[in-house]
Amino acid sequence: MSHAAPAPAEHTRIHAARDPHLLRPLPGEDLGIEFKTIDNSRLVRQPDPQARGACWSAIGATALAVMLLTGVLGPRLANTLAGYKLEALRAENRRLIDERRTLDLQEAELTSPQRLEQLAQHQNMVVPQSNQVVHLNGKGDATVAMIH
Amino acid sequence: MGQGRLLTLAGIAALWVAVVLYQLISLQVFHHQYYVQLARSHQEVSLEVPAPRGTIFDRSGQTLAMSVPTASVYVNPLKLPDLGVAADLLSRVLHLDRTELLASLKEAYDDHRGYLLIKRHIDFQEAEIVRGLAFDWIGVQHESQRHYPKGGLAAHVLGGVDFSETGTSGVERALDADLHGVPGQMRLLTDVKGRGIDSQLSSPARPGTSITLTIDERIQFETERDLQASVIEHHAATGSAVVMNPMNGEVLAMASYPTYDPNQPPQGDDLKRINHAVSLPFEPGSVFKVITLSAALETTKLRPDSPINCHGGVFKLPGRVIHDSHLGLGVIPMADVLARSSNSGAVEIGSHVGAENLYKYVRRFGFGQKTGIELKEENRGRVWPFNKWRKTSWASVSMGQEVGVTTLQLAQAASVVANGGFLIHPHLVLMKGGKPVPVAPPVRVLTPENAILMRTMMEGVVVLPYGTGKRARLDGYSVGGKTGSAQIFDTLTKHYTHSYNGTFMGFAPLTNPALVVVVTLNGTHGEGGFGGVVAAPVFHDVATEALRVMEVPRDLPDAKPATEVTTADNADDDLADADQSDADNILLAAADEADVPETLLAGPPGPTVPNFRGMNMRAVLAEAAQKGLTILPTGSGIARLQYPPPGTLLHEGERIRVQFVR
Repeated sequence: MSHAAPAPAEHTRIHAARDPHLLRPLPGEDLGIEFKTIDNSRLVRQPDPQARGACWSAIGATALAVMLLTGVLGPRLANTLAGYKLEALRAENRRLIDERRTLDLQEAELTSPQRLEQLAQHQNMVVPQSNQVVHLNGKGDATVAMIH
Repeated sequence: MGQGRLLTLAGIAALWVAVVLYQLISLQVFHHQYYVQLARSHQEVSLEVPAPRGTIFDRSGQTLAMSVPTASVYVNPLKLPDLGVAADLLSRVLHLDRTELLASLKEAYDDHRGYLLIKRHIDFQEAEIVRGLAFDWIGVQHESQRHYPKGGLAAHVLGGVDFSETGTSGVERALDADLHGVPGQMRLLTDVKGRGIDSQLSSPARPGTSITLTIDERIQFETERDLQASVIEHHAATGSAVVMNPMNGEVLAMASYPTYDPNQPPQGDDLKRINHAVSLPFEPGSVFKVITLSAALETTKLRPDSPINCHGGVFKLPGRVIHDSHLGLGVIPMADVLARSSNSGAVEIGSHVGAENLYKYVRRFGFGQKTGIELKEENRGRVWPFNKWRKTSWASVSMGQEVGVTTLQLAQAASVVANGGFLIHPHLVLMKGGKPVPVAPPVRVLTPENAILMRTMMEGVVVLPYGTGKRARLDGYSVGGKTGSAQIFDTLTKHYTHSYNGTFMGFAPLTNPALVVVVTLNGTHGEGGFGGVVAAPVFHDVATEALRVMEVPRDLPDAKPATEVTTADNADDDLADADQSDADNILLAAADEADVPETLLAGPPGPTVPNFRGMNMRAVLAEAAQKGLTILPTGSGIARLQYPPPGTLLHEGERIRVQFVR
């Protein structure tokens, strides 16, 4: 058995007979403002379990995204930095090889027979005569004796 | 209405996504290669990887020639903001003349040239300063420069290179294909500041192969020094010397004078650049008698003791007469023909050999053809084809005329005698890239017995008192050799001049020759220009040092025993020496020093000369004392040579010279 909804009360407005010579009222002139103090001190926010989960999900997703991004970009960045170092080392290697060749050249110039001859003459050294050269033939037992 | 808006928004979003997707596919799939190339062109730089030219070492690893990297500075004149400022800056940094530099810059600018080389081969400090300037109109390019750290040592052997490091002479030219490196290519990935991030080799560089020569730096230095001293002392025009191992053909030294420094090659002076040891053939003269006598040993029954008629020093041929420089030589042993360097004796021996055999052995000894040494400047010498020989060519060739030989060919020929009869192939390259270079096998020319006989006769040239090579004697080592003094033929006047090619060709020690040394001085004059005077002392000095460097054991004692009487103590030697210096007897044939045989100066005949060969000194002196003979001993050990030969009638007062060898 259904009950029909009561008919809404009719809003009635009691108006005095309008003086036709009076100006129409301003909007809301007949309205009064009543201030009401609302005390929310005892209002407690009810925790939303869905919001917590969404928050953690967001954090997790963000962390995962950062990790993925780091995992993808990190090696590339490290590669690039290592590439800088590697190229610098290669350039240094090439420079050292070139420097070594220059030093080898200097060494060869310093040991030229003409220079050695001049140094020997400067120090009053002479070529030994053939009878002044004695070749020593070492004996094994002598070497052993020296060791002992 | 709201749904319509949503649908519209969704449609716009979908359209936007589609456009983005299309662009992505277009960029990454359809135009992938284009953008990759574009990126590379901006990010990648193509660099050349330098490949240095191979280093040349001597046999003991000393560097004789090497390339070092250098840098050169260039500018783009079209990008110069101000020519004067640029000239000012560059002249200070690179120590150049500002006025000349400014003129060059202006000329290049007026010609609209975008490249101008400012300075080549700058040092590292200058290169760093220039790079630090970081201007876009200046650049540094890498190059390579060849250096010869030993200066002029072995200049003719090494040769030189041009500005592009391509060999122009010597070993540098002959082995240019091995020495020349092939540069590689490298792609370098750079960042926005031009710093390298990654590199990849497109093609690897191939450095030049290092070459190890057979040259010994110390022997080469000694040879060059002694040769130069002798050329200057005797006012010769040029000189050359070769020191070689007779067993394997390794050239230990090759000197030519005048010489130069490859680091500063002479401009327009061709004489200094000529390698006289291989490039200029000459008539050898008496040294060629070694070939004649070798051919005689091989093709006839003549032996060192065989009597040879020297016709009193005058040999008549159809259309010409050959004279000896010393008249009166009668019949002497073949060994003495060599020791005394008798022209008529050599011609007599040549007549026994015959023209055809003589030609055959001249060719077998390697004359008239290149030795194959790694020098493109080598001349093959001059030997007339047999069908072009004249009626008396055999006589000329017997004396060392009508043939043109090089010093190296003489060394090769001497090696045949020294090593027991094999013609070896002289070579300069020991190793390429650390790997030994194979050598062609030798070819037998003489039998071992004849080679030893030849060695013995060549020893007589040095040890016998009347031998022409006395100045080549070594302390502690036995020596064999031959002198030569050939008059130089003037091609303009078509006459022989009074200038000589003085030669000494020898080896030591005799028992197991370790080296062959041939020395030739060209353009000597007078009696002081003979081979025994100008070339034999050089042989002495060079061989002494070379044997010491090679640590060859001595085969003779250094000190002479007190019982020996040296030739210097003999008054008769003064007469012999005087006869050696009669320059007015020099004729067209090869002239040589010799003395008058004592048989022509002595008194009436006496006893017969005994045979002392194979006897020790005690036994010889005892027998001589018993027979009342006077002995002039030299050396120690066993008697090897004697003069007069056994069986000769001894004149009163005549003494017997006996050479002892251990």
